[in-house]
Amino acid sequence: MFDSSGRPTEHPRASQAMPAMDLSPQEVARRMAWLEFSEEDTRNLAELNRVAHGYANEVIEDLYEHFLAFEETRNFFRDEATLRHVKAMQTQYFLRLTEGNYDSEYVRDRLKIGAIHHRIGLDVKWYLGAYNFYLRAVGKRVFHAFRDEPEKAMACYFSLKKLVFFDIGLAIEIYLTTIRRQEEAIRELSTPVLQVRAGLLILPIIGVIDPTRARQLTEQLLRSIRANRAKVVVMDITGVPSVDSKVANHLVQTVDAARLMGASVIITGLSSEVAQALVLVGIDLSRMRTVVDLQGGIEEAERILGYKVTRAE
Amino acid sequence: MHVPILKHGPYLFATVQSALSDADLHRLRDDLLNKVGTCRSEGVVLDVTALDVLDSFAARTLRGIAQAARLRGARTVIVGIQPSVAFAMVQMGIRLEDLATALDLEDGLALLQRNEQERR
Repeated sequence: MFDSSGRPTEHPRASQAMPAMDLSPQEVARRMAWLEFSEEDTRNLAELNRVAHGYANEVIEDLYEHFLAFEETRNFFRDEATLRHVKAMQTQYFLRLTEGNYDSEYVRDRLKIGAIHHRIGLDVKWYLGAYNFYLRAVGKRVFHAFRDEPEKAMACYFSLKKLVFFDIGLAIEIYLTTIRRQEEAIRELSTPVLQVRAGLLILPIIGVIDPTRARQLTEQLLRSIRANRAKVVVMDITGVPSVDSKVANHLVQTVDAARLMGASVIITGLSSEVAQALVLVGIDLSRMRTVVDLQGGIEEAERILGYKVTRAE
Repeated sequence: MHVPILKHGPYLFATVQSALSDADLHRLRDDLLNKVGTCRSEGVVLDVTALDVLDSFAARTLRGIAQAARLRGARTVIVGIQPSVAFAMVQMGIRLEDLATALDLEDGLALLQRNEQERR
């Protein structure tokens, strides 16, 4: 489950992912309570620790044999050195499960590991599948070690399972948090506001507009109008696959808001499908100035601003 | 909060400094309309940069000022509506369609001067 990534460089990155998640001792306690993890479980795990040292290496060897049997997981271990390194890390991780002190520090460590796995591109299915392998491999040995006390073996195994589920929860969450952050980054990237001439802004919109994005887009545009002292904005929606009544209403609102700030908006790139759809939903677009394509929109804007573009002879 | 009205050439400038009560708005309206007459002004620039909210009553009053001022021979431009205010206004359905708007004082004044040239 580890690659060669023991380098300190990824630590800042992993810790960047932390603030989004609540790591307070109360939160940790709540999660533990949800899993019915008690003092007794800690005691059970402490007892397992003794046994774990005995079978840790075996389990790790088995696990990596399993990893190397699948192409998708094999690819993460390209050379012997990497393999040795990750096995050492894995053993550490493995033994940590039975060492008690399941506090914020423990959680932080688990989140860091999750972040590393996400960063190297290990899919959740492989990541979580490995936990299954763990539980099975360890379970077998626990029941063997406590073969005279099956009840004890059972209790220990369940304690371990609770903790593993706790770890799984953290791992999934770090994956989701990271994905959410990337989505936000993409969303911001996807709506640049560009100035082409003094007083003229271009806003090319690409992709589906949902209410959140529409709002963000308008706010960004209005701020840019102020910052660039824009008089005309050309909003190009060639890259918007479909425009429904909600989006259309939002476009109208944006045009009105821009006008309140003294800027006029020209909408370009309405495809014939979009144009027909707008007519069908019956939204009054008479207040909107539309031009068929971006070129036409910029020419119109230049005319409004009093620019005359001529080709040098 | 009293809104001072400044005269410069054929134009009047009123800069709102802080949130206005309904009574303040009425007083501003009366003062402006009087001054348009006494100064024989051709244009009014109403600066609302300092306002962080413009409700329907304020919008209606501004529109009233603009219409009445026009009857007395002066054009009105509203300037300095903040991005967040503009967005909030259109969400409430306040569009000020028949009112001239500009980014700031400078643009507002330019708009008035351009209009005047066109009239001549």
